Amino acid sequence: MALRSRRAVLRASLALGSLTLAGCSSSAAPPGATRVRVWSWLTGMDRYVAAFNASRRDVFVELSVIAAGLSGGYAQQSNAIRGHNAPDVLHVEYQGLPQILLTGGLRELTDDVADLADGYSPAAWRGVRPDGRTWAVPMDLAPMVFYHREDLFDAHGIAVPRTWAEFGSAARAVREVDPAARITTFPLNDGSFFAGMCWQAGDPWWSVDGDAWRVDIAGAGTLRTAAHWQDMIAGDLVAGLVHGSQDWIAAMHEGRLWGLLGASWSVGTLNRSIPQDAGRWAVTTMPTWDGAPANGIQGGTAFGVSAESRVPEAAVEFLRWLSTDPEVPRIGSAFTTPFPAHLPSRQVARDAYRGGYFLGDPVYDVLDEAARRVPDWTWGPNALRVFSTAADRFGPVRTGRATLPDAVRRLQDDAVADLRARGLSVREGRRA
Amino acid sequence: MSVPVPRGPAVATPPAARVPRRRERGVAGLLLAGPFALLLAGTVLAPVLYALYLSLFTERLAGLGFDGPRQVFTAMGNYAAVLGDRAFHDSLGNVALFALVHIPVMLGAALLLALLLDSAVVRLRQLWSLAVFLPHVVPVVIGGLVWAYLYSPGIGPLAAVLPFDPLSDVGVLPSVVNMATWQWTGYNMVIFYTALQAVPREVVEAARADGAGPVRVALSVKVPMVRPTAFVALVFTVIGSLQLFTEPLVLRGFTGSVTSTWTPSLYVYEAAFIAGDHGRAAAASVLLAVVCAALSALVMRLSARRSG
Repeated sequence: MALRSRRAVLRASLALGSLTLAGCSSSAAPPGATRVRVWSWLTGMDRYVAAFNASRRDVFVELSVIAAGLSGGYAQQSNAIRGHNAPDVLHVEYQGLPQILLTGGLRELTDDVADLADGYSPAAWRGVRPDGRTWAVPMDLAPMVFYHREDLFDAHGIAVPRTWAEFGSAARAVREVDPAARITTFPLNDGSFFAGMCWQAGDPWWSVDGDAWRVDIAGAGTLRTAAHWQDMIAGDLVAGLVHGSQDWIAAMHEGRLWGLLGASWSVGTLNRSIPQDAGRWAVTTMPTWDGAPANGIQGGTAFGVSAESRVPEAAVEFLRWLSTDPEVPRIGSAFTTPFPAHLPSRQVARDAYRGGYFLGDPVYDVLDEAARRVPDWTWGPNALRVFSTAADRFGPVRTGRATLPDAVRRLQDDAVADLRARGLSVREGRRA
Repeated sequence: MSVPVPRGPAVATPPAARVPRRRERGVAGLLLAGPFALLLAGTVLAPVLYALYLSLFTERLAGLGFDGPRQVFTAMGNYAAVLGDRAFHDSLGNVALFALVHIPVMLGAALLLALLLDSAVVRLRQLWSLAVFLPHVVPVVIGGLVWAYLYSPGIGPLAAVLPFDPLSDVGVLPSVVNMATWQWTGYNMVIFYTALQAVPREVVEAARADGAGPVRVALSVKVPMVRPTAFVALVFTVIGSLQLFTEPLVLRGFTGSVTSTWTPSLYVYEAAFIAGDHGRAAAASVLLAVVCAALSALVMRLSARRSG
């Protein structure tokens, strides 16, 4: 109960803080400055914008905080693009970029930021260049890692799993030690999470094949992932709690969940949700398929410039600062644990990291290693819709009325039919 | 929908009063009706016409799609797509089931509570009506979240008490019915209660004098006299049921049993804001509006026949 109310207070005070900050910043535009309108739901964006505005006289950024991604942010942005009143800077995640590109609302930035190419994690740079042209500026990277209760694994002599086969036996061992506990949860309502899990298996769901999209959601790697988790769910070896829910937070804190298949931003989630758990958790790279090092990405932010922006130069100037200036991770480290896509900025974040929460390997070392292991992947032009359809298709899996591999095959058919209906060229299956 | 503009005197005005000329009265009428007409045109008629227009077009992409969409006229193509979509049929089935349970339960409870409130035996009448009305004041999203927590196993008590899991495939419909009933019973009770207050006391007295007990008075005197009100409440509830949106949307965050197209309104939302297919969304909205209008007309006709 105390936990919950403290979060509520925290959230309320954060909201209040951002309101007052937004209020201050919009009133203090220097005369003659170029105004850049920005829409974003990034945590702490208000503070970055305030710092940028404080340091510039020629460009002034006006931030509007919008609802996060599929909770309304994407709808708001695509409506604004249709209505020809989009802001100058749009919030796009790597996974949503191709879908936004189909609206024709983004400006090509290939020449504007070509000089930044070498500064980023390759996975992030690929993420903003789905067709070889640059459409957005990377902000952060979200490689997936395995968070686990090091204290409990240690106390009961269970080895932290390195492969998915070991993960299965560790799951059994956890349940034997404590029948109420599970090694982790596998939320079926989160298509983005499932995609991240499949990313690791090396069969990208989409790819650009000449002038057509290749769709391969039911590829061998994905089916292997689906079959593995089908067995885990059918054998009652994983919980079904939704990441971030109150129930999940309580279970994490009370030792009913021993692990979290999370992303880099989960560091912040753990720190905020269960701060009293410091010294219990450790982080390690994801279990692998047969020891081949690889892991996926879940989420990650980039920013695009509207095709109709009348101040694209000023917008790009702000985005270059946001993406690469060392001041940004320094500010961010005060309230979260940023994992910037820009490598020199990541070094700044690593140096500014307070530490003290995790046991074992330093968290930035593990995340760096994870980021190096990310295989090729392209998000498709209907990725966000596929996430939503996945949640629909996976719903009956928990009750046994459907299996994950079957649901994945249907998802492939849904995705292909959707793209064809919109007139896109589509090829199915793996590239020959 | 027509704007009521007075068209001059329909009955003879007293000769003593100054009779305004037709023109003057017309101008005054227009001025008075103006704000309403503007709002109606701007917030209802224009969007409806735009939705009709949108529903006739679709966006076509080509190749990889990075060159942006092209608007193409499809005539009835979007309507055909919606009518042939299994997800749309399922969503209609879901709201039909919902309405079948929700309408009798909710209106029955509202009428019962109103009759109790209207009977002489109840003390603290104001307090009671306030207590029953209170849930309607709670914003649907907030109420929905509270119910969702109550339903969640591990946090809320309901999952442990109920014989079924309120967030499972079969349990989710009763859960939504419960949320909506909780929200709307008080509102409709107030409507019924107001109608009951208007029942002439002498009729009730006469029935009592003839030896009718309180139950008999309620069933044979009061209920028939509030029948027109009941039909109005029924029309509102039928329309509200078809447009069911917020409750399932909130529950969707807690369970996979509510699909993204679970009700027609969610179907429209999914088409417009997740699939980005505004033409199909517009067509589905128009179809939903037509179904609403047809059902309302049906209820009104029934009402006219019963009271006529």
